[in-house]
Amino acid sequence: MSGSTINVKTRTSRRRPWIREHAVSLAFLTPAAIWLLFIVIYPTIDTIRLSLFNESATKFLGLTNYKTVFSTDTILTAFRNNVIWVLIFPFFVTFLGLVFAVLTERIRWATAFKALVVMPIVFSTTASALVWATIFDNSPQIGAVNAAVLTVSDWFNPPGAYPVSAAAGQTVADLVGSNAHAKKNNTIVSTSSARAGGTINIGLEDITPATLTLLKAQDAVKPQPMSGAITGVIWRAFSPSDPTNKTDVLPGELGLPLLHLSLVNSQGASVATTTTTTSGQYKFSNVGAGSYFVELGSSNFGSGFTGISWLGGGSITPVSGLGQTAQALLSVPLADMAMIITYLWIWAGFAMVLIGAGLASLNREVLEAARIDGAKEWQVFRRVTVPMLAPVLAVVLVTMIINVLKVFDIVLNMASGASVNATPTLAVEIYNDGFTGGIHSGVSSAIAVILFLLVLPAMIMNLKRIKGV
Amino acid sequence: MTTIAQTNDLTKRRHILRRMLPARGPSNIVLGIIAVVWLVPTVSLLVISLRPEAAFGVSGWWKALLDPSSLTFSNYRTLFGQGFVAGGLLDSLMTSIEITVPATLGVVLFSCFAGHSLVFGRWRGRDVVFLTVVALMVVPLQVALIPVVQLYRELGTLFGLNPFGTIPGVIIFHIAFGLPFGIFLMRNFMSGIPKDLLEAARMEGAGEWKVFYRIVLPLALPALASLAIFQFIWVWNDLLVALVFLGGNVHTPLTVFLYDQNHELQANYWIISTGAIVSVVVPLIVFFSFQRYFVRGVLAGAVK
Amino acid sequence: MASVVLRNLTKQYSGNSAPSLEMLNLEIDDGEFVCLVGPSGCGKTTALRMIAGLEDITSGDIEIGGRVVNDLPSRDRDIALVFQSYALYPHLTVADNMSFGLKLRKVPKDKIEEAVQSAAKILDLVSLLDRKPAQLSGGQRQRVALGRALVRDPAVFLMDEPLSNLDAKLRVQTRAEIAQLHHRLQATMLYVTHDQVEAMTMADRIAVMNLGLLEQYGTPRELYNFPSNLFVAGFIGSPSMNFVTMRMNRNEERILLTGMSADSKIKVTLTDEQSEILRQSDANEIIVGVRPEHLVEGSIDHPGFSAVATVEVIEFLGNDEHIHAMSDDTDLVAILNAHSSVARGDSINLSAPHDTVHFFHPTSSLRLN
Repeated sequence: MSGSTINVKTRTSRRRPWIREHAVSLAFLTPAAIWLLFIVIYPTIDTIRLSLFNESATKFLGLTNYKTVFSTDTILTAFRNNVIWVLIFPFFVTFLGLVFAVLTERIRWATAFKALVVMPIVFSTTASALVWATIFDNSPQIGAVNAAVLTVSDWFNPPGAYPVSAAAGQTVADLVGSNAHAKKNNTIVSTSSARAGGTINIGLEDITPATLTLLKAQDAVKPQPMSGAITGVIWRAFSPSDPTNKTDVLPGELGLPLLHLSLVNSQGASVATTTTTTSGQYKFSNVGAGSYFVELGSSNFGSGFTGISWLGGGSITPVSGLGQTAQALLSVPLADMAMIITYLWIWAGFAMVLIGAGLASLNREVLEAARIDGAKEWQVFRRVTVPMLAPVLAVVLVTMIINVLKVFDIVLNMASGASVNATPTLAVEIYNDGFTGGIHSGVSSAIAVILFLLVLPAMIMNLKRIKGV
Repeated sequence: MTTIAQTNDLTKRRHILRRMLPARGPSNIVLGIIAVVWLVPTVSLLVISLRPEAAFGVSGWWKALLDPSSLTFSNYRTLFGQGFVAGGLLDSLMTSIEITVPATLGVVLFSCFAGHSLVFGRWRGRDVVFLTVVALMVVPLQVALIPVVQLYRELGTLFGLNPFGTIPGVIIFHIAFGLPFGIFLMRNFMSGIPKDLLEAARMEGAGEWKVFYRIVLPLALPALASLAIFQFIWVWNDLLVALVFLGGNVHTPLTVFLYDQNHELQANYWIISTGAIVSVVVPLIVFFSFQRYFVRGVLAGAVK
Repeated sequence: MASVVLRNLTKQYSGNSAPSLEMLNLEIDDGEFVCLVGPSGCGKTTALRMIAGLEDITSGDIEIGGRVVNDLPSRDRDIALVFQSYALYPHLTVADNMSFGLKLRKVPKDKIEEAVQSAAKILDLVSLLDRKPAQLSGGQRQRVALGRALVRDPAVFLMDEPLSNLDAKLRVQTRAEIAQLHHRLQATMLYVTHDQVEAMTMADRIAVMNLGLLEQYGTPRELYNFPSNLFVAGFIGSPSMNFVTMRMNRNEERILLTGMSADSKIKVTLTDEQSEILRQSDANEIIVGVRPEHLVEGSIDHPGFSAVATVEVIEFLGNDEHIHAMSDDTDLVAILNAHSSVARGDSINLSAPHDTVHFFHPTSSLRLN
């Protein structure tokens, strides 16, 4: 209680808890930090390093690996495929998402629809790829697409009764046995001609017994000539007992039913048509003067449409006449299109949900102002709604572009056989070069680095966006 | 007090004033068609898995729809009947679970902590760290594969434990690449929690851990649930990482199982379809059961 | 320019038990500035949106310029609407916002340029023409919304609480600008607001609405001096009119109004006229109304209303003071000159002359005098 100043030492009680707060807070960050540092940040830097070395990482190669990357065919093909994916997929998926989002605003069962369309994301890309691989399968017994395509095409362009198998290398000419020759337009014409009352027989070969059974062929019967008519038989000139004799109708040989025949005059015009019976016989009645040939139309031998080989090695080549490499680089493998369709099925829901949320948050009054200003519904949509949606659309686009740069699972599971060479993507190449077959970590790393560089613009865009927030 | 004439006018007016494009009817039709198209692949897979092995390739699966009695569970019985034989369906299912559950838990846990630290911590440099996390979100995991394999090998030489070829090895990798998105999600959600709540708690003497455990965590449950779903589905469906780290292994997850079946034994479509259905069922259950968590609005009334 | 006629306009939302708007009949003359005013939920915005074509009509007719527009879409009604939230196109510049409608109608470029420039000059927007809405202040955005309407040169201007998002000072300023605009254009304007001050200062005629019904339609003066019912009397004027319920005694030749309690300190004296009117009514109680600005301190000759009250709250406003005083358990508000020496707790005399006293029927709430 003296008058001297009392030195009140304020306990630094505020300090200690403050530090402890800091410590705990930083401790919270530590597990994540360690994980990210060791498994993400350090390895990324190391990959850059590896890309500059040889496969056993012993010799420094500088940019050699990168040179290799840009001169290897498979890798260049992968680049091309990634370009195809990036050019086509993001825009279509955003477009689909926009259409779905807009349409679902009008219906009552929007939630159910959204759940349905979003569901494929939940399936693994692997499973989805396998499902669609069956859908796109060549065989119409398996692939729904080809089954549908063939049903439609058969209706317009039905196959003939005696289809020629181009796949087996068979041509119409191979069918000719005797007294006929094949013409360039895939018809078969009789060599001999006849007048009214005469006969023309044509023997064909190289026809499978299965076809004959299917068509219920009977034994061939030599026809009787009739006055005023031209008759004949078209038969399968093959007898095991006398294989070389193709001009005579031997017992046991079968007639060829359901062949569409035309009677062709000496000028080449068709004057009548008829169809052969189950024993291969035909008759043209009331034939006029002059000599005639019998013609078997090409429709008899058409194989109809055999289906599209979606996942095969076929490509759509838009430009022709360039060098082989350029050609290869500019063509679009059909399999890519099939896979893109599959990927659309998987991701359209994602785009729809995001754009739907953006749509719901739009200021309705601005749309009303547009309507009052005189805009019709379509104009409101095009000039006001879509521009106001621009940020959301951009997010969807960019996210999908990044997604597609890394596309892997679907290629691995859908491409097979012929299309494997045409459809790899960069991610597939990284895997192939890094982990299977000839392991070349340098090249694999180089591709990975390139992939990373491709993704970099998106990263910068994201950072800009977040920083502004 | 509308007269009959006026009532008739009403309906007329309603028709005319209705928005022109796109009208309700056509929307329903178009979307109905799209819905059916969207269902076809899934239904086809289901149907194929319910048909006997011999039927595949002989007739299209759609034929079975006309003859429902031909559907059978025999494929499932066969594959499940194998029990836990290595490389079989059940074994792969178990492996998928063994990988996905820990990976999900790990990401959720660490993201929670990290998010809290980034939002409520008061240390300098938070923004830089967050920006780094945002940057890392786009890094493709291909970029880290080879070095991590080598890292694992070095761990093996240093500690005798090489995670390569083991399930923990896969889990570690998945956690790492799930963290950037997880931290981003949690951080964004947590910054919506009013700081007043925490300050009130701190004034009552709660330390940082208590604040996290009793206030932030319960409030962050909705975001936790979403993150858990995303992460679960992502890891469950992954193929690349599993191939790289467990490629030739005896026990592989379902995605690798399907991949192997597809590439080695092409005619085994009955196995593939059955396995695919099984692999799809689990994420579907997760998705639908966690959906309810999204609806919570816990913050209402918490701050006055 | 055109007149607007609403006939029996009704709006019923399915799911609501009561109609939002019931049998509204209103005639707005060509070139008139009419305010729809009332508390939230009174139906004023609903009516405006129906005129604009943004809401379906349940029953009734809307005529603009003599033709029935019920079935016409908004864009064909020759109207312009200024939204409360301005509803500017965020992705377009100010100039593009204003010319949007004209472009849609394929008006030639030079005409568009002309219209935009002249509107911009009137509204002082010329320097802002190239900016986007996000770069503008609230007041500037409001003017762009006005400009968008101006450029359309519509038959009728519709405005939905355009000033409610502005701060107090800006509101006063913009009020005057809108009034000036009206005077300059001689345009028909229909203005919706919940603020009776805006209505009183700007409108040629005011339509007071409450719970979907029209309470009164008249000039500001009419509404102020001759409110047709209790609601209008209480709504117009700030601070609101004072209301006291008093008992009516018919026993004697003259009607006497006494306070409800025995020791009432409020006295109302009636003129012969007023007495006659009250005698004809069937009520036993009368609600007496006096505006705060008509109460004076102290006693006057021949007061119509007088009360002894205890001062509770004094609100100092510079030149005036608002005195809240309690008399007979009723809170009376009076506006007195600030130089008065009244203090809290004082007992004061408040009186008002006969011609400022209003009488209202207790159940029908109609004004009786």
